[in-house]
Amino acid sequence: MNKTYLISFICIVVAIVVIINGSSDVSTYSTFADATKTAEEVKVTGELNLDEDIVYQPDIDPNVFSFHMIDKNGESKKVIMKQSKPQDFERSESIVVTGEIMDDVFVADEILMKCPSKYKDDEIRIRAES
Amino acid sequence: MDNSINYIGETLWPGQLGHFFILLSFISIAFSSLSYFLASKRIDSELSNSWKKLGRIGFITHSLSVLSIIGILFYVMSQLMYEYAYVFEHCSDDLPMRYIFSAFWEGQEGSFLLWMFWHCILGLIVLKTSKSWESPVMAFLALVEIVLASMLLGIYIEVGDMVYKMGSNPTLLLRDVFNAPIFQNADYLASIKGDGLNPLLQNYWMTIHPPTLFLGFASCTIPFAYAAAGFYTRQYTEWINPVLKWALFSCGILGIGILMGGAWAYEALTFGGYWAWDPVENMSLVPWLIFVAGLHTNLIAKSTGRAVKSTFTYYTLGFVLILYSTYLTRSGVLGDTSVHSFTDMGLEWQLIFLVLFFAIVSIYLLFSRKNEIPKQLTEESIYSREFWMFIGALVFLFSGLIIATSTSLPVFNEIVRIFKPEFDGSVINDPIPHYNKFQIWIAVLLSLISGTAIYLRYRANSMNKSQKYSFLIRSMIYLSIAAIITFIFGLYIDYWHWKYILLSVCCFYSIIANSVYLITKLKGQLKLAGSVFGHFGFGLMIFGTIVSGLNERIISSNPFVMQGIVKDEDLGKVIKLIKNERIFSEGYWISYIGDTIDNKTRYFNISFEIEDAEKNVVESFEVRPNVLFSNDLTKVAASNPDTKHYLDKDIFVSVQSLPVTQMDVELAKNAEDSLKYVKTTLSIGDTIFTKDKYAILEYISFNPKHKDFNAQESDIALAAGIRFHSLDKTYNQIIEPTLSLNQSLLYQFPAQLNDLGIKIKLNDETFNNFFSIEDELQYEEFEIKQGQSFNIDGIQLRLTGFDKKIVNKNYIAEENDITIQAVLTSTYNDSIIILNPIYLIRNNTPSSIKAHNAELGIHARLSHIDPVAEEFTFQIARDNRKNPEVILDIAENVPRTDFIGIEAIEFPGINLFWLGAVLMLLGFFISWGFRMQSKYA
Repeated sequence: MNKTYLISFICIVVAIVVIINGSSDVSTYSTFADATKTAEEVKVTGELNLDEDIVYQPDIDPNVFSFHMIDKNGESKKVIMKQSKPQDFERSESIVVTGEIMDDVFVADEILMKCPSKYKDDEIRIRAES
Repeated sequence: MDNSINYIGETLWPGQLGHFFILLSFISIAFSSLSYFLASKRIDSELSNSWKKLGRIGFITHSLSVLSIIGILFYVMSQLMYEYAYVFEHCSDDLPMRYIFSAFWEGQEGSFLLWMFWHCILGLIVLKTSKSWESPVMAFLALVEIVLASMLLGIYIEVGDMVYKMGSNPTLLLRDVFNAPIFQNADYLASIKGDGLNPLLQNYWMTIHPPTLFLGFASCTIPFAYAAAGFYTRQYTEWINPVLKWALFSCGILGIGILMGGAWAYEALTFGGYWAWDPVENMSLVPWLIFVAGLHTNLIAKSTGRAVKSTFTYYTLGFVLILYSTYLTRSGVLGDTSVHSFTDMGLEWQLIFLVLFFAIVSIYLLFSRKNEIPKQLTEESIYSREFWMFIGALVFLFSGLIIATSTSLPVFNEIVRIFKPEFDGSVINDPIPHYNKFQIWIAVLLSLISGTAIYLRYRANSMNKSQKYSFLIRSMIYLSIAAIITFIFGLYIDYWHWKYILLSVCCFYSIIANSVYLITKLKGQLKLAGSVFGHFGFGLMIFGTIVSGLNERIISSNPFVMQGIVKDEDLGKVIKLIKNERIFSEGYWISYIGDTIDNKTRYFNISFEIEDAEKNVVESFEVRPNVLFSNDLTKVAASNPDTKHYLDKDIFVSVQSLPVTQMDVELAKNAEDSLKYVKTTLSIGDTIFTKDKYAILEYISFNPKHKDFNAQESDIALAAGIRFHSLDKTYNQIIEPTLSLNQSLLYQFPAQLNDLGIKIKLNDETFNNFFSIEDELQYEEFEIKQGQSFNIDGIQLRLTGFDKKIVNKNYIAEENDITIQAVLTSTYNDSIIILNPIYLIRNNTPSSIKAHNAELGIHARLSHIDPVAEEFTFQIARDNRKNPEVILDIAENVPRTDFIGIEAIEFPGINLFWLGAVLMLLGFFISWGFRMQSKYA
């Protein structure tokens, strides 16, 4: 058999295997409602609920902080985060948490935040006043 | 903006000059590219030569323009001309000059300029050295440079209703970029200050990493230009030789750039590792992988004449992937998946065009010339070296494409959104295992091939029986040794999974095969050993990642707090250290000794000690991680780790949390507001009780020793000494809450006992119990001569003399003043007290300047001098201290302020990774140096 064809064939097989295998690692964003239904880890997007307290007490346990998050369906749920509180957390525009629901609380082990971009039109005015 | 305003203090010529050079750089490079293209069409004619000359003129003009733009930008930045938007965004008054380079390439425009700068330098080298290849190679290099130059144009193009932005001009004025009310003020410059450099980027890595990486990017353009030039001019095999040394250089430099990024992440960021499969990291790695593939097919082509199309494909693909990574990092499409992408500049369509244009050019050249390329009639034999090198290159290609595809998920999401706007997008759940699970097989294959192929010969068609036999025996021996070494390492490290054992065997196989090859075949000739170094280093590097990655150990784990709440593998990584309290964790005694503040950085001294069974310290070290405050000092902006390096392991320590009161001014205020203070009034000797302690007001001091109190800045100060005891007297601590008056403002210096959770403030009202205001003072007059004394309330004051050296702090000198400063002395509690009232004649008007002693509460004025009788009139008053009570505000259950939360990770064998990576890159440079000697080139 022609080696070129053999190699091409192997490449295609490998590519298919990689794509099938790799795509199982990919998922879409969920909501708290989805998270309640599954026992697996999910990623939930939403924003910080500023009406509720953000609790971080590093003097008691530096590895835990908790807050409330509103998902894209508008459901607000308490989130317990198992790491120290990221800087500028209060200023985040949107949040992605990875974790699972335990006893009606979303226990997260990873967090990604999107913060407002550094330069905004009103930035100069604020600076000048201060 | 309103053009009728005459703004004050603006320097406009650098902007105008900069704009001119931006236009000139664009026009001249377009002219240069066109001329070089025309020159490469007419080979060896006189016309061709004159076009070439014009191309050179264009390129040199362009290079000078780029240098001028850079010079102008540096000038306005070093002069802090905030009227320019780029200066405003990246500089600030307090930015040290050594960070001006970092600030320069913090922004998109500056980094484009850096890239163009390297293109100019490399282009001039090509222009000087490439002889007959000059015209076509420069034509393509200049073509790339045109697109980069257009990134600085900053013009708007209207197409129908849409307005497209083309480029972003770095020499624009702030008031042309931002629309803000402040620009109604002609003197707006006086009231603005720059944003400054992001504190995370204020370190030396930011000075050296971007130039290296961009030199790597820029150098990759040259192999692309050679490949394109070779196909364009139909010289299909001639470009293979000269391109090789450029490709070696590119792989080496780009590799250094990427490795530096890893070192930066490891040394200065708190990721806790050197590689996080971050999109930006990935997209600088992918072009490198493709270029390394191209380098291998390039060697095949040089030795056998095969794989010319592959080489073309790899070099052009690698280059297009660099452009693609530019698009990913600069268009904002990565959004929240990456920690370090640039801010969006609205250049998205231009970046997409850049990628597509060069992709189409490459594809066109390949397919239009496909049938003209000389064909090889036979296929490669599997006994030949080139066959396995070709397979190795394919493995590299796969590696790169897998990484690029996963990294491009946000781009796919964007494309889906065009058709389905409500689509949320999908994400990779857990990126690190996702990438690792494929790349482990890539590493296995590459190690096996690199250890095997070097023992094969180019163009070998077959092996006879004895050759096959010895080849197999040798491979088996190497594999066995590799297995034994892996087994020995297995006694010390944990491989976790059979896949890692396999990978380890393969790594050692490659290491051994290449070492033996160096000794037996090359006889130790190092200049020929580039590939050996490359493959040896690769094996060592991968083994280093196994050892350090699989066996990293979190020292700062705190397993008791979260038990039961979370899964075991998620147990906290941060441990709380209370100042001067030793904590035992994972074999180390850790203690937080103290901290120091240097400008905007706060350093923490943390000591680690290992004890043997007899409690003797057998090993100890100290690390100094720090946190960096934001430019306005209101909050912590960044945390920088510190690492203790041993030969066989590193211990990485970073500060992850601080008491809220020290993190952020706003949070500190909230925390203070939430404390419940109780007001208590005490006289000396009175006792107060807390939960299980009692405290006595022991003394009142007018010379406070509070650590934050600065006697130089204070006019009058008052402190209460309060001693805390436990009921059994084992606890004994004294604290001094303090009040200080400075320029008629009262400042409080509270005192805190962290172990009791008690915070005490000296209430402002206390001040009135010890000091009276001027209006309430009742002065008595005394007329005395020098040497005489007088009494007030039992205190004897003596006029000892006069002092020409003015020490009275209330006196501010003016010209033509006549001053007489008296020296009044008294003894009080065995110490001598001196008062220095001043008699002042200013503008022929006499007046007196008061002297005050806080301890005695005496106010003294020298109000009249009788020169004839030599008599001096003093006015003396005393502070009203009839009611010398101290009013305290006491809060209990106050959160501690004397702790930090740290993360400490032990990385064993990490030096194997660095050593391997450095050896691998050294391999490229050895080969490069070898090829640069002209007789081999």
